[in-house]
Amino acid sequence: MQQGKEVVSIMKKIKESRSRKVFMVFNYIFLALFGFISLYPFWYVLVASLNTGRDFARGGVYFWPREFTLENFAQAFKDTRIFDSLTISVARTLLGVLLGLFFTALVAYALSIKTLPGKTFFTFFFYFTTIFSGGMIPYYMLLRDMGLTKSFWLYIVPTIYNFFNFLLLRTYFDTIPPELRESAQIDGAGEGKVLFRIYLPLSKPVIATLALFIGVGHWNDWFTGAYYQSRVSLYPAATLLQKILSEATASSTIKLGQETNLSAMTSYTSQSLQMAFVMLLTMPIVVVYPFLQKYYVKGVMVGSVKG
Amino acid sequence: MKHKVLYLFILPCVVWLLVFCYYPMYGALLAFKDYNYNLGILGSPWVGLQNFREFMRSPEFWIVMKNTVVISGLKIIFGFPAPIILALLLNEIKARKFKRTVQTMSYLPNFVSWVVVVSLMTVIFTPYGGIVNNIRKGFGLDPIFFMGEKAYFYPMVVLSDIWKNAGWGSIIYLSALSGVSQELYEAAMVDGAGHLKCTWHITLPSIKGTIGIMFIFAVGGILNAGFDQILLLQQPANTQISEILDTYVLKTGLNYGRFEYATAIGLFKSVFAFALMALTNKISKKFMEVSIW
Repeated sequence: MQQGKEVVSIMKKIKESRSRKVFMVFNYIFLALFGFISLYPFWYVLVASLNTGRDFARGGVYFWPREFTLENFAQAFKDTRIFDSLTISVARTLLGVLLGLFFTALVAYALSIKTLPGKTFFTFFFYFTTIFSGGMIPYYMLLRDMGLTKSFWLYIVPTIYNFFNFLLLRTYFDTIPPELRESAQIDGAGEGKVLFRIYLPLSKPVIATLALFIGVGHWNDWFTGAYYQSRVSLYPAATLLQKILSEATASSTIKLGQETNLSAMTSYTSQSLQMAFVMLLTMPIVVVYPFLQKYYVKGVMVGSVKG
Repeated sequence: MKHKVLYLFILPCVVWLLVFCYYPMYGALLAFKDYNYNLGILGSPWVGLQNFREFMRSPEFWIVMKNTVVISGLKIIFGFPAPIILALLLNEIKARKFKRTVQTMSYLPNFVSWVVVVSLMTVIFTPYGGIVNNIRKGFGLDPIFFMGEKAYFYPMVVLSDIWKNAGWGSIIYLSALSGVSQELYEAAMVDGAGHLKCTWHITLPSIKGTIGIMFIFAVGGILNAGFDQILLLQQPANTQISEILDTYVLKTGLNYGRFEYATAIGLFKSVFAFALMALTNKISKKFMEVSIW
C-alpha cells in the first residue's frame, strides 16, 4: 500500500518534470521571440537607412543592406531643417538636464532636512500639482502670454521641475545620515557646500538616473513643439519628424508618384531620408540606455519602495 | 533666520509652481465664463455651467466618451496583464545571461518617443513594400493598409501599446518577485506542490499588492487613453473611433480657438478622472487590502 503510493508520487513527479521541460522550451522560445520583436523594427529601419532608397523600395531588404550607402545620412545632414531641429534637440536636452538637475537638487536638499519648518507644507504644495491641473488650454494661454510660444525657452523653463524627479532625489537624500551635514557645518561649511560637496557626490546613481529621465524626456518630446511652438524654425527634431509624418500620411496617394520622380535622379528617396532621420533620433537613446539601465532600474526601485 | 539659505533653495520652485501649475488652475475658471480676449479671464462674463451643458448635449459627447473608454478598456484588458505575464515567464528563467539580455532588449521601445514608434510602424506596415505586407504577399494574400484602415485602428493601438510598454512595465513586477523567499518554494515543493501550484499559491499572492496599485493607476488613467499615441495614430479615416477627450480638447481649443469650451471639457475630464481614481482606490482597499492613499 505504502509502496504503491510512493510509486504514484514518483510517477507524478516524472510526468510533471516532463511537462515542465516542454514548458521551459516554449518559454525560452517565446522570450527570445519577444526580445527579437522588441529590437527588430529598429534594425529594419537601420538597414533601410543604410540602403539606397531606390533599391530599398524594390523590397526584399530585411536583415542586411543590399546596396550599402551613407547617402541618406549625408542628405539628412545637408537638409537644413533636419540639421537645425537636431541642434535644437541637443541644446534643449543638455540645458534641460543641467538646469533640471540643479534646481531639483536645491529643493530636494532643502526638503530633506528634517528640522526645516514648513517642510510638509511645501511638499504637499508640490504634490498637489500632480493630482490636479488647470488643463491644456489655460496652460497654453499662460505660455502664450509669457511670450514663451515664440521662444526656445518654451522647452526649458516650464519643464524645470517635476514632482516625481523631486521625490526620487529627496528619497535618496533621506538615506544620507544627517550627521554628515551637521559635522560639515561645524567645520564651517555652508548649505551650498554640503549639497554640492557631500550630498551630490554620494548620490551619483540617482543623479545618473535622473539625468537619463530628464534627458530622454527632452529628446523625445514632440508635443510641446507641435502644439505650443509657433516658430517653425524652433521645432525640435521629434516635432519635425511628426510634421513630416503627418504630411506623408495626408498625401499618401501622391507620395508614390513623387518617389518615382525623385528616384529617377537620385539614389535616395523621401522615405530613405526619413529613415535616416528616424535613426538619428533613435541612435543616441540606443547608445545611452544599456549603460544607464542598471542605474535606471535601481532608481525605479528606490522610487517604488519608498514612494 | 537659521534656515534662510534653505528657503532660498526652495524659493525658485515655489515661484515656478505658482506660475506654471497654480496660475493655470486659476485660468481654469474660464470654463465658467464667456471668454473675451480684451476683458481677460476675470473680466469676462460668468455663464455658470453653460459650457459643460453644451458639451454634454452635443452629439460629440457620447462619441468622444465612448472612444476614450473603449480604447482604455482594450488597453486594460490586453495591455495590463502583458507585463505581469512577461515578468512571470522571465522569473522562471534560471539562465541569468539570457534573462538579462531579453530584459534589456525589451526595454528599448519604452525609451523612444511615440513619434519614432509610429514612424517604425509606418515603414513596417505600409502596403508599398513594407515587410508585413510583403510577407502577406508571399502567402498570396492582398496587402492591407494597416495604418489607414479604420478596422485596424484599435488592434494597432493595443499592439503598439504592448510592444512599447510591456517590457519596461515588467520591471516593477520582477522586483516584487525577487523579494519572494526561496524557502517558501522549497517548502511547498517538499509538500508535493508542482510549479503551477507554486505560481498560483505563492508567486501571484506575493505580487498581489503591486498588481493592485498598478490597477488603480490604470483605472484612474482611463480618461487619458494614451494621449500622444492616439494623437499620432489619428487619421481622417478613423477620427470617428479615435477622437478621445484629450484630442478633442486640443482640436476645439487650439484649432478652433474655443478656449472656454475646451477648458470646460478639460476640467470635466480632470474632475471625473479624480473621482474614478478615488473610487477604485476605495474598492481596492476593501477587496485587495491595497490603496495609494
